[in-house]
Amino acid sequence: MYNNKMRIKVLDVVILIALALLAIFIVYRLTTQLNYKWNWGILPNYFFYYEDETGHWVANILTQGLLTTIRLSIWATLVAAVIGVITGLMRISDRLFWRLVGRSYVELIRNMPPLVLVFIFYFFVSSQILPLFGVDDFIRSCSADTQKLLAYFFAKPSLFTAFISGTLSIALFQGAYITEIVRAGIQSIEKGQWEAGNALGLTWLQQMRWVIMPQALKRVLPPLTNEFINTIKYSAIVSVISIQELTFQGTQIMASTYVTIEVWVTITAIYLVMCFSLSMCVRRLEIYLKRNEGI
Amino acid sequence: MKKVFLFSIILASIIALTIPAMGTETKVAEGSTIAKALKRGTLIVGMDIFVPWAMKDKKGNLVGFEIDVAKKLAKDMGIEVEFVPTKWDGIIPALLTKKFDVIIGSMSITEKRKTKVDFSDPYEYAGMSIVAHKKKAPGLSSLKEFNQPDFEIAVKMGTTAETAAKKMIPKAKLRRFQDEAQAYQELRNGNVHAVVGSMPKPAYEAAEYEETLYLPLEGTFTKEPIGFAVRKKDPTTVTYFNEWIAKNWENGFLQERFDYWFRTLEWESMVK
Repeated sequence: MYNNKMRIKVLDVVILIALALLAIFIVYRLTTQLNYKWNWGILPNYFFYYEDETGHWVANILTQGLLTTIRLSIWATLVAAVIGVITGLMRISDRLFWRLVGRSYVELIRNMPPLVLVFIFYFFVSSQILPLFGVDDFIRSCSADTQKLLAYFFAKPSLFTAFISGTLSIALFQGAYITEIVRAGIQSIEKGQWEAGNALGLTWLQQMRWVIMPQALKRVLPPLTNEFINTIKYSAIVSVISIQELTFQGTQIMASTYVTIEVWVTITAIYLVMCFSLSMCVRRLEIYLKRNEGI
Repeated sequence: MKKVFLFSIILASIIALTIPAMGTETKVAEGSTIAKALKRGTLIVGMDIFVPWAMKDKKGNLVGFEIDVAKKLAKDMGIEVEFVPTKWDGIIPALLTKKFDVIIGSMSITEKRKTKVDFSDPYEYAGMSIVAHKKKAPGLSSLKEFNQPDFEIAVKMGTTAETAAKKMIPKAKLRRFQDEAQAYQELRNGNVHAVVGSMPKPAYEAAEYEETLYLPLEGTFTKEPIGFAVRKKDPTTVTYFNEWIAKNWENGFLQERFDYWFRTLEWESMVK
């Protein structure tokens, strides 16, 4: 398929020129027609600044925001994957009760706008549930070392509960989509595979572990990647409940300095790089799995 | 049929379980906010970015008039202060659901807000001003002239700028933005005729883009008292804050800080 030598034809040249002209036109409009004083100079400082007193480079709010986005995405993905696998198995259970629970969860979440869900979860559910467990008081009473460790993996004590509710709300709605992917993946495996497992005398768990899941995983990897990338992008939604992630920090800088377009462009580029690298990683994983198919 | 029935029972029970959770906020808080803050050793303050009330400086720290006020308040109480930057349109719900102790965030005392929260005495006064586009709305010098149906005015959503514009120039069409920066960008692009905002930002904006923007009015057209907002049914906390504010009007701290942040531009290099 890839044996054809790349040959540039006239049409390709025309399309490339047209695209280049469009790009130039947009940049031209932005720089000359828009009444806006560009000020890219202040941006690098918001990533890192040099502290004169200590002689160190210190991470500023955009870097901190980026790290929060990454932490948020990783935890939300993990929790969503756990929720997704459990409810996905419920959805294919033999018992009506489990199927109904799984179905209710998926339909409830899937048919609600994520933004509304985030608001409801943050203002009603998390403000009722988290104090019940005394999370905030517990974090504040931890030793300095524990707090440091928690700050490394989650968030600073002052932002801890907000971080947890942000993570949970993203995980909750991403879990619903992953549920459907898990269900579809398992159901796509031919009946014969189950029967073969049965014939070999494998228990349900062994069938899942050794026969069904390895095949299903390969099939669901592309849609699953979509959901993981969506998790990163959706993490921007929680900026509305003031979780101090990348988008939120960006809006704070905009409100303080009134440097808007530069900040938006920078943030967009960061999200693009993040999501694109994730896509590339999964692509390699897919190729790896394909190569080992025979084994 | 049976499946549908069971399904709806599960849905109904989920809804029934979440509804009582929403109602519990109205209960009277045990112990005042002040007592809790003292016990915790930290006063947690909710605010949003408004130049020059509260801003992020070059090092990512918060600076501004309000920040100085909250820091002094906490210092006088002998405890630490912690700021929770919060989106303005969600700041009152966040206070009510106890995400922080008090809003010290250039919040104007209005009757509508008083139905949800209690206010301290004013610790400052803010005023609204208007900045207009030279080409779209040339040569105007009174608010009345903006009161036309084909005029578009940009404001930040949920602020008293919105209320003031609705009241003073009711005929003009309002366009509401999440952030003030977007409202001003819309004005610079010439998509709206004017922006109503709290002083001194409109004046700074007119100075920075003097080729395209101008100030139709001298000074401000409203005078709005600004107070600390706390949850309802907490008289101890309100009294405590009122005493602190009265004391700091007397010793000149509030006036001195106001003059620094609003009458000078010495702080500008900290931010830009």
